[in-house]
Amino acid sequence: MNYHWDWGVFFKSTGIGHEIYLDWFITGLGWTIAVALVAWVIALILGSLLGVMRTLPNKALSGFASGYVALFRNVPLLVQLFLWYFLVPDFLPESLQTWFKQDLKPSTSAYISVVVCLGLFTAARVCEQVRTGIEALPKGQSNAAYAMGFTLPQVYRHVLLPQAFRIIIPPMTSEFLNVFKNSSVASLIGLMELLAQTKQTAEFSANLFEAFTMATLIYFVLNMSLMKLMGWVENRVSVPGLIGSNGK
Amino acid sequence: MTAMIQLSNVSKWYGSFQVLTDCTTQVAKGEVVVVCGPSGSGKSTLIKCVNALEPFQKGTVLVDGISVGDPKTDLPKLRSRVGMVFQHFELFPHLSITENLAIAQMKVLGRSRDEAHERGLKYLDRVGLKAQAAKFPGQLSGGQQQRVAIARALSMDPIAMLFDEPTSALDPEMINEVLDVMTGLAHEGMTMMCVTHEMGFARRVADRVIFMDQGHIVEDCTKEEFFGAPRGERAQQFLSKILQH
Repeated sequence: MNYHWDWGVFFKSTGIGHEIYLDWFITGLGWTIAVALVAWVIALILGSLLGVMRTLPNKALSGFASGYVALFRNVPLLVQLFLWYFLVPDFLPESLQTWFKQDLKPSTSAYISVVVCLGLFTAARVCEQVRTGIEALPKGQSNAAYAMGFTLPQVYRHVLLPQAFRIIIPPMTSEFLNVFKNSSVASLIGLMELLAQTKQTAEFSANLFEAFTMATLIYFVLNMSLMKLMGWVENRVSVPGLIGSNGK
Repeated sequence: MTAMIQLSNVSKWYGSFQVLTDCTTQVAKGEVVVVCGPSGSGKSTLIKCVNALEPFQKGTVLVDGISVGDPKTDLPKLRSRVGMVFQHFELFPHLSITENLAIAQMKVLGRSRDEAHERGLKYLDRVGLKAQAAKFPGQLSGGQQQRVAIARALSMDPIAMLFDEPTSALDPEMINEVLDVMTGLAHEGMTMMCVTHEMGFARRVADRVIFMDQGHIVEDCTKEEFFGAPRGERAQQFLSKILQH
């Protein structure tokens, strides 16, 4: 292969202002984290709520949650993003539409779309994890709680959820990492997150291989750190003698 | 004597399968009633009807005069007055022993943290486990967990106690430590309804014995009558099998 490697490219000027290519990667990483974290907060709150709903005796509530999961899990993420970005705004009331399409900076409207899209998409997956966690608990646990006079919300709050969330930390770690990885779809609607900055660097500098090596490395280090973080969380909340307590 | 627990013509179906048929019995205040019978006879289902953990389709259950099946009944409140001990202990594994003892007192009865802890520890001491207060359920033996479960139920100041096969999941050597606690309770005058196969316990402690088979209450008599000469053939068969050892 006749390719001229140049690892110094990241410190070269981009030709735009005083920026060097490394600045682009840092900005991109910032957007990636901003998208993923906010989407994760939405997914965690909404997903937990839906997961609880799926296990409730009320048919209407559990049916609604099942429908939600079916809808958001069976349509590709990229299709969902295009729907949120290109189609949904057209259905907004006139004033909101103008605001979204004209008043907002393009990067802000893209950001809102991708955060909503990724948040709702991941909520469906979080819902299934939470449901599985609750259903994995013995029926006797809720029976014991009811027998002591707990109400349904108390049974969830004090008995089921604290146990279910501990059980599902490993699969939830995967979902957490997925949000960061999936946030790369934002590059397709023009949000300058990590992948978009990488493509731009590749085009401007012609150092395609270095740019993508850098992106790969950043994604890898970011996700490894998150994995370590979640491992730490799992250890922090582990209970002696309970499954997943590392034999403590 | 007034009946603390009164079951009248209780029937229950799972789909078209009838699990309880016209069950009528009562437990008087201070009385100890043992419910026995072969597996699948409906004993556990019957005792769970008393605090509405199992719904039933026909008949009435009164606890201290309050109808359990009445939709207007405040079930959490009623349940908080009836203690229940389960086959698999059902301590909350994510809470320490002290927290297990205190949580319902605080969340259901509205007691302060200090009061709940003090009461919980008093009953923990009673079952001989005060030293384990800071541990978690997973660190205790089965017998110890069941004693904590009894202490947990007692710290709610129940008017009656339900035991659903409290020793069935225990190693033989741990059965007695649990039965000793239950015997002590009975002698103090606690109203108790116990589903158990421990016929020695029934002989020592029970006032009455109920024998169930295929969802029916087939014997309901004093323990003297039951162990002397059970009237039905099915009960005789059951006893001969269970008392051989």
